[in-house]
Amino acid sequence: MVIDLDKCTGCQACTVACKEENNVPHGSPEEQRKRREIYWHKMIAVTQGKYPRVHTELIPMPCMHCDQAPCVTVCPAKATYRREDGIIVQDFRRCIGCKYCMVACPYGARSFNNKEQEKKEYHRRDSPPDRSVWGQWPFPTRTHGVVEKCTFCFHRIDQGVKEGKKIGIEVVPACVEDCPAMARSFGDLDDASSEVSRLLSSRSWIRLREDLDTKCKVYYLLK
Amino acid sequence: MRLSYTPIEFRSRDFYILSAILIALTIAGFSCFVISYLQGHQVLGTSNAIPWGMAIIITIYLIGLSAGSLILSSLTYVFGKEEYRLISRISVFLAVVLIFGAMVGISLDLGRPEKIWRLFIFFVLNNMRSMFAVNGILYGGYFAICLIYLGVIFAEKPKLTKKIGILAMIWAALVHMGTGAIFGFIAARPIFYSSIKPFEFVAAAMASGLALLIIVVIFAFKFAKRKFKKEPFFSLGKLLLAFIVILAVLVFIDKLTHLYSPHREPTVWLLTGPFSSIFWGLQVGCAYIIPILLLSHPRFKKRIGGLIVASFLVVIGIFFERFTLVIPATAHPMPFYPGKIEGMWGEVGHFPLTAIELLTSLGIFAITGLLFILGLKHLELLPIIERKEPIPASEERNG
Amino acid sequence: MDRRTFLKLSALTGAALGLNRVISPPSAMSSSAPLQIKPQKMTEVKWMNTSCLNCSARCGIRVRVINGQAVKITGNPFSLTSEGKACPRAHIGLQVLYDSERIGLPLKRRNREKGRGIDPQWVPISWDQALTEMANRLKSLREIAQAHKLLLFYGLNTRSAEDMISRFAEAFGTPNLISGNGLDEESEKSGNWMADGHYESCAYDLDRTQYLLLFGADLLESGKPLSRFLRKWGKLRREKPNRAKMIMIHPRYSVTAAKSDEWIPIHPGTDAALAMAIANVIIAEDLYDKNFLHHWTAGFDLYKKLVLGHYSPRAVSKITGIPSETIHRIAMEFAQVKPAIALRGRGAINWPEGSYTSYAIFCLNALVGSIDVPGGIIYQEHPRYKDLPPFAEDPIARKGKAQPFLDFRGTEKFSNAKVVTNQVPESISKNIPYPIEMAIGFNCNFNMSAPGAGRWDEALKKIPYYVHISPFVSEMALCADLILPSTTYLEEWGYDHSPPGSGFAEARIKQPVVKPYGEAKSPTDILFSLAKRMGGSVEKSFDHMGEDSEGFVKLRTSALMPWKEFLARGVWTGPEYKYRKYDRIFNTPSKKFEFFSGNLRSLLIKMGRRPEEDLNYLPHYEEANFLGEKESYPFILHPYQPLMTLENGSQNYPWAQEIFLPMHGIGWANLVEINSETAWRLKLKDREEVWVESPFGKIKARVKFSEGLHPQVVAIACGQGHYSYGRWQKGIGVNPNGLLGVDFDRISGQAVFFNTRVKIYKA
Repeated sequence: MVIDLDKCTGCQACTVACKEENNVPHGSPEEQRKRREIYWHKMIAVTQGKYPRVHTELIPMPCMHCDQAPCVTVCPAKATYRREDGIIVQDFRRCIGCKYCMVACPYGARSFNNKEQEKKEYHRRDSPPDRSVWGQWPFPTRTHGVVEKCTFCFHRIDQGVKEGKKIGIEVVPACVEDCPAMARSFGDLDDASSEVSRLLSSRSWIRLREDLDTKCKVYYLLK
Repeated sequence: MRLSYTPIEFRSRDFYILSAILIALTIAGFSCFVISYLQGHQVLGTSNAIPWGMAIIITIYLIGLSAGSLILSSLTYVFGKEEYRLISRISVFLAVVLIFGAMVGISLDLGRPEKIWRLFIFFVLNNMRSMFAVNGILYGGYFAICLIYLGVIFAEKPKLTKKIGILAMIWAALVHMGTGAIFGFIAARPIFYSSIKPFEFVAAAMASGLALLIIVVIFAFKFAKRKFKKEPFFSLGKLLLAFIVILAVLVFIDKLTHLYSPHREPTVWLLTGPFSSIFWGLQVGCAYIIPILLLSHPRFKKRIGGLIVASFLVVIGIFFERFTLVIPATAHPMPFYPGKIEGMWGEVGHFPLTAIELLTSLGIFAITGLLFILGLKHLELLPIIERKEPIPASEERNG
Repeated sequence: MDRRTFLKLSALTGAALGLNRVISPPSAMSSSAPLQIKPQKMTEVKWMNTSCLNCSARCGIRVRVINGQAVKITGNPFSLTSEGKACPRAHIGLQVLYDSERIGLPLKRRNREKGRGIDPQWVPISWDQALTEMANRLKSLREIAQAHKLLLFYGLNTRSAEDMISRFAEAFGTPNLISGNGLDEESEKSGNWMADGHYESCAYDLDRTQYLLLFGADLLESGKPLSRFLRKWGKLRREKPNRAKMIMIHPRYSVTAAKSDEWIPIHPGTDAALAMAIANVIIAEDLYDKNFLHHWTAGFDLYKKLVLGHYSPRAVSKITGIPSETIHRIAMEFAQVKPAIALRGRGAINWPEGSYTSYAIFCLNALVGSIDVPGGIIYQEHPRYKDLPPFAEDPIARKGKAQPFLDFRGTEKFSNAKVVTNQVPESISKNIPYPIEMAIGFNCNFNMSAPGAGRWDEALKKIPYYVHISPFVSEMALCADLILPSTTYLEEWGYDHSPPGSGFAEARIKQPVVKPYGEAKSPTDILFSLAKRMGGSVEKSFDHMGEDSEGFVKLRTSALMPWKEFLARGVWTGPEYKYRKYDRIFNTPSKKFEFFSGNLRSLLIKMGRRPEEDLNYLPHYEEANFLGEKESYPFILHPYQPLMTLENGSQNYPWAQEIFLPMHGIGWANLVEINSETAWRLKLKDREEVWVESPFGKIKARVKFSEGLHPQVVAIACGQGHYSYGRWQKGIGVNPNGLLGVDFDRISGQAVFFNTRVKIYKA
């Protein structure tokens, strides 16, 4: 995924669209104080400088789906693993809730379900298309005691692949689709003709926490 | 000297009171576990900022105690030092009970304890690159080896005991190095990330295991109203001093390394921030400095009282060493991007100790303690010394 | 999915819903009828086109509906205004629709006492009872020929509902139709009107512009239509060969400022001076568009003399706090990067001299030739809905409408105002020009959104009979005698078009995507029912209008496109925009863009004022009058509206609350934001509780040290501080509007939000 911080307007539609798409539970004032709210996608504000030479960078952060993911290395139950296409899968059936992955993730992308979440009228209830994804299928909600995180909307990607649609053009994750500024792109990094490849070759980019060499796959284009 | 082991016939009122308290705490702990299982971890103090709480701290603490205790039994069974035979059986039994307690602790920490079996399907359902999974093999094997070891000891087969003893000793060291590796290999948390974590953990295990052993055996003797020789304990005191010094050196090197860039902020925060009083007071003071002073002071090291106080301090201090490892490492916010991260993402995590978590923690200790005193009561663990006079050297060799 | 699984699923869903109802606290206000799930053999999935109404932008959206439940909202790709995108608030619409604390039945007040903290003791009654009661009251008012004593408020409603309300007012015979516009942007409209005769906000041709000079305009947070600004921002940055540049002039480092290329902090209330100084540089450097100025403007000489004589960058630098080099540089950039637009936002123009500020900034566009050109200011086209049959007007109505306006619009007090919303409480309290007997409020919540909110409570208490129409018990509804449950925008028929805008016209449909909650009715349907019961000319006025809301929408939009097509597409797009309509676009005496406002002069003369000095008709800066003494109240309060504030009167939506303040990384609260240096001098500690006190009230909240604020400004976000209902909003945060004093821009009647002074001290 490529996120263009110059086009990004800091509106947080990505965060809300993700919650809407994946039935991510919302929290409460109490839960936010105790840092228990679940965010598959978050936007952080980082400030530098002093008045009047101040700069705040607003950075949307999904799961980075790192190629050398620390969370994949440490999961004892093979509940989180890298798929062939690069998506880091979270299998709720296998997850034992040991939270090792939460400790290991340098991006704070993972959240723990510490209670049974309320069912809402606006939750989608799609059933899994086949048995191979029963464990990872996130709808309608996850049970308490498991860790959850952004899935790059694999349910859309898989459906798109089945229907022969072009990934990155016709099928994208919810945050990419619903970004009003069209600041986000998604696609195959190995495909030289994809939008993401084009962007990465034409602009300067950074990744977060390069010092940890996670080879994460969310790139940021700077202002 | 001949030692024969008999169970301790606890009949006193004190014993029953102690058992009652331990049973009550165990039941309370278990009920709290059931509550947390039904309601989810919202009843605990953990959060997305600090995912690991008391359960993990107690677990690694108990594993350390267990490993340390087991390694000390090798003094007699492997290295043939007879003067320590009086502690050896208890040390193995203590190791068994403690590792059981640790496994109880682990199951309490899991979000879905009913899936704990998944930790034991090695290679098939486990990702063996995960130190947690490797530890599954280590702990499982360790428990089995401890039981076998204990059995062989009760069967009084010295040659077999020695072989199993060597295996147990090495395995115990690996177990706690494995525990250390769980933390040491996580780069995202700078306070964890260090290659000497495994060694630091083993040193802590030795120190705390020995200290606990000293306290437990002395109190067992006192409760059983049996006489014991003091000299072995003073030698153990010297050994404890050595272990503490090694541990302190390792911790010092670890923290000093982390004070150099990169990623020095969490360590600086640990040493000077809200956790600094626990670090300096309870870890460094309690676990290292005061015991070192006590155990090297000519006046105190020759008194059982001094030894007991030093051991107590070590046991408490090393618990807090585990605490200051686990909590501050995750509490400190991660630097996603250079600059000041606003709001909740840049704030220090909070770890309130809820009543349920406290009771569950006490329950883990309680069930460990309960099993231990039941063992003392029903198993032949504590020796009775049959002769008090000094024995000729020839007979010593035969014993 | 096979049948058994589906049945299990629906049973589970039904049970879950039932369980939800059992677990939620019972209240007299919740409906007796559960949500309907259509029994079907297959899972029914459909996408329906409609439009949003969480703010006045009314963007086109699509809703995914599964078995009668809405599960996803996204943009409507047919809407060219937003290019198929939607802002975050659109998604929150799901929580607006499924707000479990909505009301499903009309509620009658039993407790005669009114006030904050007093339980109204609502009793559910039937629609029949409610409407009969209302109709009787309305009829009795007409019988005594006092039709003007009916006051109609409306906040955020569909255009179709607004058209219905206006018609009702006309037929009934009351001149007192008060919208929330007086709290919004009237000064912008008035400033425009002074220059070109259009009493309307500007539209911008954002696709082609290269430079945006933002005067207090939080485009990415409270700009309208927001989805358009969000989309175009992305386009302006990286979808053009030349990246556009954005400069933000604002006392507060907002999200828009953070995303702009430069943030220039300015002393609050001095934007007019800055605009004139920029004009000074442009004129002095001879960089103005001579062609446009020569052919299509009037009054330039007077303007030039004023600008060059009084507004040198050095002089203005002292007033605004901006270094004169910066003023010079910005002016040069603005004039030389073409096309460039100067935009105004509430922060710059909701001041006592707001119309002149608006005029001054607007003139900058003319100076650089950005009027009605590609990449510049453009004029919003409107959908031409089918004309309604003429309404029936009887003598009672004629008499009523001849009475003076309650809000003194168009009088000497507010010479050019079209609506002075915040004057109403004073008028009611003092019975001037006459007492009000009955009021009906449609989806408004001025008790939260107006300055001096407490006055609204007092005023509404005084009205003998007040009916409020909204989906929930808002703060304004707390003062009502009767509440009628309104549908949300996802459950009703309507047509809508956004405020300026895209230039070209675009109409959007609203159709029910799910069945209405309980017995809620849309305002349009309520008016149809009411009219029928009124009889007489009122009933006649609503004949041949389609009979119900669906019919009304069908009728009005029949002039745009075929109904089925409109339903399927969701939007109607008008003809392509035509630029440079200079020969017919200026509604001024000279038929040109006027730097010297002939419109204003004519108006004041018509009102009987002697022609005053020229300065009154030229854009100029006047030092703002602040409410509160500087010595006692050293800081200036800046209430701002973050993106996550919905404008429907409620904030009871966790998705919005969780991430309410993105610049500060927190939610579920608002903060007292203050410059860190200033805070340090006050010996405050970051995040400690403080009192913020103005001459009119005080509130307590946590202080936040910020590097992004002018040293004399205290900023507090609006949208919190609700006290009426809502598990997710009641008792959370504070409402800064309660601290504001009441002041107006005397020309447009715009309520002033930014000139109240405050002091801060530890709590």
